Amino acid sequence: MTRRPRTLRRQLLTWLVAPLIVLWTLSTWIDFEIANRFVRFAYDRALLESALDISRQVKVVDGRVHADLPEVVVQMLRTRQSGAAYYLVTGPDNEYITGDPDLPSPPDPRSDAVYFYDGQHRGKPVSAVAMPLPIDSGGVAGNVLVRVAEDYGTRTEVARQIMIGMMIPQGVLIVLAALAVWYAIGRGLAPLNSLQREISARSHRDLSALSAEQAPREVRPLIQAMNDLLGRLSKALASQQRLIGNAAHQLRTPIAGIKTQTELALRQARVSETRETLQRLQAATEQATRMINQLLALARAEPGGEGAHTRERLDLAVLARDTTSEWVPRAIARDIDLGLDSTDAAAPVEGDPFLLREMLNNLLDNALSYTQRGGRVTVRVTPDANRIVLSVEDNGPGVPEAERDRVFERFYRVLGTGVEGCGLGLAIVQEIAQRHGADAVLTHGADGTGTLVRVGFPRAA
Amino acid sequence: MRILIAEDDPMLADGLVRSLKESDYAVDCVSEGGAADHVLAGQNYDLVILDLGLPRLDGFEVLRRLRHRGSRVPVLVLTARDALDDRVKGLDLGADDYLTKPFDLPELEARVRALIRRGQSGGTSVLSHGALTLDTAGRCATLDGELLDLSARELGVLEVLMLRSGRVVNKDRLAEQLYGWDEEVGANAIEVYVHRLRRKLEPGGVTIRTIRGLGYLLEKSP
Repeated sequence: MTRRPRTLRRQLLTWLVAPLIVLWTLSTWIDFEIANRFVRFAYDRALLESALDISRQVKVVDGRVHADLPEVVVQMLRTRQSGAAYYLVTGPDNEYITGDPDLPSPPDPRSDAVYFYDGQHRGKPVSAVAMPLPIDSGGVAGNVLVRVAEDYGTRTEVARQIMIGMMIPQGVLIVLAALAVWYAIGRGLAPLNSLQREISARSHRDLSALSAEQAPREVRPLIQAMNDLLGRLSKALASQQRLIGNAAHQLRTPIAGIKTQTELALRQARVSETRETLQRLQAATEQATRMINQLLALARAEPGGEGAHTRERLDLAVLARDTTSEWVPRAIARDIDLGLDSTDAAAPVEGDPFLLREMLNNLLDNALSYTQRGGRVTVRVTPDANRIVLSVEDNGPGVPEAERDRVFERFYRVLGTGVEGCGLGLAIVQEIAQRHGADAVLTHGADGTGTLVRVGFPRAA
Repeated sequence: MRILIAEDDPMLADGLVRSLKESDYAVDCVSEGGAADHVLAGQNYDLVILDLGLPRLDGFEVLRRLRHRGSRVPVLVLTARDALDDRVKGLDLGADDYLTKPFDLPELEARVRALIRRGQSGGTSVLSHGALTLDTAGRCATLDGELLDLSARELGVLEVLMLRSGRVVNKDRLAEQLYGWDEEVGANAIEVYVHRLRRKLEPGGVTIRTIRGLGYLLEKSP
């Protein structure tokens, strides 16, 4: 099961928008309450107005209370803006005078104060006002009660509309705020993104400090911490490389001792078995020497290695000539025709002479080891306008196509060749090539057999 | 001929001592820089083989003090390092030659011979290679004891090849060597000299191999 990684943007957005929505809900509820209160107040006032209109028609004639509402007033009550109103006028003894007898009664019909209340009228909720009208004339004394009621639904509808009217702009505000936050987070994260781009664009050799100049103050401690880590890493690497380098150098002296002693012993040995043993010992010291040189080359080629910044302009053709010459005695011993094919043109390359020699040493070591007796190995330096191509070609068994990429991996060895080695040779070649902005490619020889390794260097200006 | 070996690795020192004694040199050996300095201050040698990584007083310092005292004894430096600055530093301080460890014993012996020859002004200067000998002072060569009829340039080419026998000699280097006595010597001229030399050396079983694109090599005597 995979979980989507938490993004900073989503987290910030969640933590900003969720409280906003809670606040929005709360404010909606408050809005509704406030709207309700004002609507009620305004509508109650209108009801009271209607009650007053009715009360002006109340008269006492012949000792009886009359309330003859003119047609205008009745019409007005029916067509009120806030909906039709029902009315009821009752006498001091609660006797029916005029209106709708079904109107609900206030809790205390005998109260002397104007009273607003809610009730039911023909199965519908209504709001009502009860206005007592004190009368003391024509033999009638007491309160005439004028009641006016209207449908409660109207008020709720108005309050609801007020609430919606307030909710929508607030909702729009929240959406706009979320969008603004989204954009602002993106803007705020931009320095982190550019830091990420800078780091991922780096080669694994580059352990130099990251630039903190463009970064905002909050990001600087992060960059600082990373730079500290890079610094420690490169120190650790450098000391590791020094250790390898020192160890390899130190190993050369005892090997020189073994080699010298073996050669001396070979001169004196008369018994053929002893000679054979000594020759194997001699071969082993050669092998050990090669491995030490390879180790040194690796230690040097890697970031932080000894002399990591040794770079000089050199003629690759001269370097190839001198290095190849050193391998001629071994080629003769193995009856291999080793030669150089180069023009007289200069082949200027910017590089570390030790590493470039070691690269060619490894290519020649491979070519001479894997090519059969009587074979042919040719080193070429071909300069053109932009590139200097160094290649080593042999007419040995070649490398199967499927394995051609893998042979550049460390410790990878083509099986069944019967040649001793540790599988570092081509890895070193690739490492050194890359350090010089070049790339090593392994393919087959000109006539489809054998091995051809080609390294194209940028031409030095 | 007295040789001083200053080398702290006992196995290597022992090998060097035995090898040089076989060649009838008188060999002394020290394993530490202070001792080397002390011995060199008191005695005369014809050659010093000096390891740069000596304990207590390193090879550079021993060499510096030696030259400071005005001694001109040839010094062959041995080094376990290959950084170019070590070599340059060693040669600047007055080393005559250097070898990086591990080296081939015949190579060391050849360098020792060359340095001792150089150290003796007017001494013997005969190179030999199988049946072939070359007297660099008398400017003549013999094959199987018989004097060879060689021109000065042929002799020059042969001398360079013999000095580096078993190793490739570049055509350019050959041309450079001959430049001293002649005006410009082209690559074609070198080919002609080598061709003539081959014809004259063939009866003695001495072979000059052509190494494709690299130069020539005087093949080791069988």
